[in-house]
Amino acid sequence: MEAYENKPLLVKGKIRKHKLISNNYGEMVIEAPQIAKRAKPGQFVMLSRWQIKNLLLKRPFSFYQINPQEGRFTILYKIVGKGTEILSNSKIGDEIELIGPCGNGFLLPKEANRIALVARGIGIATLLPLAQEASNRGIEIYSFLSAREKSLLLGRDSLESLSFHTFYTTDDGSKGRKGKVTYFLEELLKENKVNFEAVYTCGSKRLAQHIQELQQKFHFFSYVSLEERMGCGIGACKGCVIRTCHGYQRVCKEGPVFPLEEVMFYER
Amino acid sequence: MKDKVDLSVNLGSLHLKNPVMPASGTFDIRDTLLNMRELNSLGAIITKSIASRRREGNPGPRVWETDGGMINAVGVPGEGVEYFKEHILPLLEEANDTIIVSMVGDSIVDFCALAKKLDNFEKISALEINLSCPNLNNGLYFGVNKDVLGDLIYQLKKSTQKIIIAKLSPNVTDITEMALTAQEAGADILTIANTFLGMAIDPEKQIPRLGNKVGGISGPAIRPIIVRMIWETSQKVKIPLIGVGGITCAQDALEMFLAGASAVQIGCANFSNPYVMLEVIQGIKEYLLRKKYSSLLDIIGLVHKNHF
Repeated sequence: MEAYENKPLLVKGKIRKHKLISNNYGEMVIEAPQIAKRAKPGQFVMLSRWQIKNLLLKRPFSFYQINPQEGRFTILYKIVGKGTEILSNSKIGDEIELIGPCGNGFLLPKEANRIALVARGIGIATLLPLAQEASNRGIEIYSFLSAREKSLLLGRDSLESLSFHTFYTTDDGSKGRKGKVTYFLEELLKENKVNFEAVYTCGSKRLAQHIQELQQKFHFFSYVSLEERMGCGIGACKGCVIRTCHGYQRVCKEGPVFPLEEVMFYER
Repeated sequence: MKDKVDLSVNLGSLHLKNPVMPASGTFDIRDTLLNMRELNSLGAIITKSIASRRREGNPGPRVWETDGGMINAVGVPGEGVEYFKEHILPLLEEANDTIIVSMVGDSIVDFCALAKKLDNFEKISALEINLSCPNLNNGLYFGVNKDVLGDLIYQLKKSTQKIIIAKLSPNVTDITEMALTAQEAGADILTIANTFLGMAIDPEKQIPRLGNKVGGISGPAIRPIIVRMIWETSQKVKIPLIGVGGITCAQDALEMFLAGASAVQIGCANFSNPYVMLEVIQGIKEYLLRKKYSSLLDIIGLVHKNHF
C-alpha cells in the first residue's frame, strides 16, 4: 500500500483569529500543527464546525496562508450556504474538526525565473501561499487580479507586496481596468516583453478558459486550481470529478491543481 | 460485571467477527485513512460496485448535500473486473479476511458472466448485488420489478457458489414483497436498502443540482424509513438482513439491530468521519456491556418481542 505518512489526517483544530471582511467574506486562523506542518501551497483542508447530525459533510477550504513554525494556517471563505454561515458565527477558541492536507499542491518549475498568477475573486486564496513560496525562491511574480468590484479584490495587499507587478481589473471599473483580466496578460505576451515559465490560475472557469485560448496562441505552461462539490475530500466517494483529456478525474485526489491544457470545461 | 462481549454474528454461512462494515461506494481501500490494524477490525469490507468492464460514471456535479443527508449520482465508475482482480483485490486480502464484492451489471447475462468470474476468486466471501441500475434489455430497474429481480437472483445462484446478498431498492410500494421474491429466488442475505431516488434544483440557475439530474438520497434523514423497512421485512423473511441508511453513531446502528438487522453498513458518515465505523463498533460493545448482554445476538429483533 502507498506510504501511510502521505495520507491526510483527521485532527481537531482551534480557531485562533477570526474576522469578517466586507460582503460576506471571512478570514480565519486555525491552529492545527499536524496539518500546518505538512501543508503545501495549492492543497486544501476539509473542515467542520458542526455535528454530523446537524450538517452531514465537511467543507473544503484552500490554504490561504501557511505558518508551519506556529502550527497555524489561514483560510479565506465566502458565506454561500449553511456550512459557511455556521463558520461565520465562530468565536476564537472554538474547536473544529479537520481532514488534511488534502490533494496535490502546485508545482513550481525547477528553473523558474518568472511566473504569472491570475486570480478572480476568492481564487486568490490558494495562490497566495504559492506566491510566498515563489518569492522565497527569488522568482519574479506578475499578478493579475480580477473581481466584480474593488472591495472584492481580496488579499490584494498581501499579494501585491510579493509581486514584481500587479494588474487589476474590475467589472465595474472601480479599480484598475474594466473588462477581462486576461487583457493585460495577452498584451504582455503579445509584445514579447516577458515570458513566464508557468501561469497559475484560480477562481473562475471562464477565466481559465480564456487562458486556455491564450495558451493556444502563445504556448506557455499553465496550472489551474479547480473546485467542485465534494463528499469526502480523500478520493473515496468519487463525487468531485471534472472532465479532463484522461477522462473524469477527482478534484480532491488527482487535483485540485491540474495542468490547464488537460481540463475540458465545456461540460456543464 | 462481565467485561467480555461477543460481537460476532453469522448471516447464514457468512461469519462476521462484528456486524459493522462500509456501505458500497462510500469506502475505497486505496483512499482510506484507516491503518492495517483498523481495517482488519471491521466486520467486513465491501467494495464499490464492480462491473464487467470499465465504466466512466456520471458527469458532475455528482454530489449535493440535502437537509439531513445528501443526494448523489456518481454512476458507478470503475476500471472493471480485470483491473479489480489485479490491483484492488490484493489490497483487500491484506486488509480484512471478509471481503464482500458489490457487483453491477446492465443485463442478466452480464451479471451472470461477472458472477462466474468472481466465483474463481477464493478470497471473496460474498457478492452483494447492486440492483439500482436499469436493465438494458427491457429498461426496467432490477430492483423495482419483482419478476426481473427474481429472475436475476435465480440466474445468479446458478452462476456462482458464492453467498448472494441482494441489496434491495427502497423505491417500491412494499419492500417486503421484493424481499420475499429475493428469498424465494435463492438470495442468502438481504441488504435494506439502497438510496431513495430524489432530485435537487438550483433556483438561481434553474437547473438540477446534479449532472445526472436525479440521484439517490442517503444520510440521517432516511434512517427512520429504513428502520421501519427492516422491522417489516424481518417479520416476513427467514434470511438475515443487513441494515443501511443514515447511521452516524452506535445508537443509530442499535435501532437497526433491535428492528431485526443482523449487521449494519455505514455509508456517507464515512465521508465526514473516516473513523466512524470503529466508533460504532466500540459503541455497540459498550451498550451491550452496560445492558449486561453477553452477545450481539441477544438484541437482534428484540423490538418484536418487546413490542406487544
